[in-house]
Amino acid sequence: MSNPDQSRMKQDCANKRECMQMLQLIVDGEATPEQKDHFLKHHLEECLPCFNNYHLEVAIRQMLKSKCSGDCAPQELVDSIKAKVIRNLAS
Amino acid sequence: MELEETAKQHYTDTERQQIFDNEFMPHINSMYNFAYRLTLDQDDSKDLVQDTYLKAYRFIDSFQKGTNAKAWLFRILKNSFINDYRKKSKEPSKVDYQEVESYYNSEEVDRQITPDLRVEALKDMIGDEISNALNSLDVDFRTVIILCDLEGFKYDEMAKILDIPIGTVRSRLHRARNLLKEKLSEYAKQMGYKTA
Repeated sequence: MSNPDQSRMKQDCANKRECMQMLQLIVDGEATPEQKDHFLKHHLEECLPCFNNYHLEVAIRQMLKSKCSGDCAPQELVDSIKAKVIRNLAS
Repeated sequence: MELEETAKQHYTDTERQQIFDNEFMPHINSMYNFAYRLTLDQDDSKDLVQDTYLKAYRFIDSFQKGTNAKAWLFRILKNSFINDYRKKSKEPSKVDYQEVESYYNSEEVDRQITPDLRVEALKDMIGDEISNALNSLDVDFRTVIILCDLEGFKYDEMAKILDIPIGTVRSRLHRARNLLKEKLSEYAKQMGYKTA
């Protein structure tokens, strides 16, 4: 996606609600290629609220991923599970 | 216990051990994170993960080798959480989805649900704001965000993990994200960002 001239974009979106739903489908990877193509290539470049919303949605997901996941399970937990399963197999 | 209706398998001990080591254990970090985000307690999350893995082992014959082990494990964990932990925890009572979904479907919602949050404000949240905002959501809303945004499950996988229709997955997710944004806008305001 290019970086469009924001002053020349629509400042208000007539279909905010539908657009928001479409936008979430796209960011979640659930939209069809046609829906994606139409929305990202046509609508987003001319509609400022949707352009901003899109970038906000993407940023929120990136922040969630970096801040709320990536921790490792404690090693003692991993060891304890493995030991219990092996004991189970032996019995 | 199974995600799809599959015939019961009869694995040998060696096969069991292989499935457990190669298909189940690689998801331990995601499972721990899921458990922690649900219980918000380290000891409870360890117990929950351990219970889940032992259950998974016990019911391993219901698991079809090579299918989606992660979704299968997440479903067991979610069910264990509901059955064993949710009752004793101090979670507020379940939200009334009828009410939530009719709220979501009303036109009224448009004006209220779009908190003005900016990407710059979000990028400045370098502490625990995001994590706290997520944890502050009701557990059912928290769950869909974890499954979708943290773990990358597709809507149909989420529907199976949670035993709800895909339409409910979508509307719950939509509502959850709006609640999260509301919370994040509150933080942005506290940080001195003006909302338009």
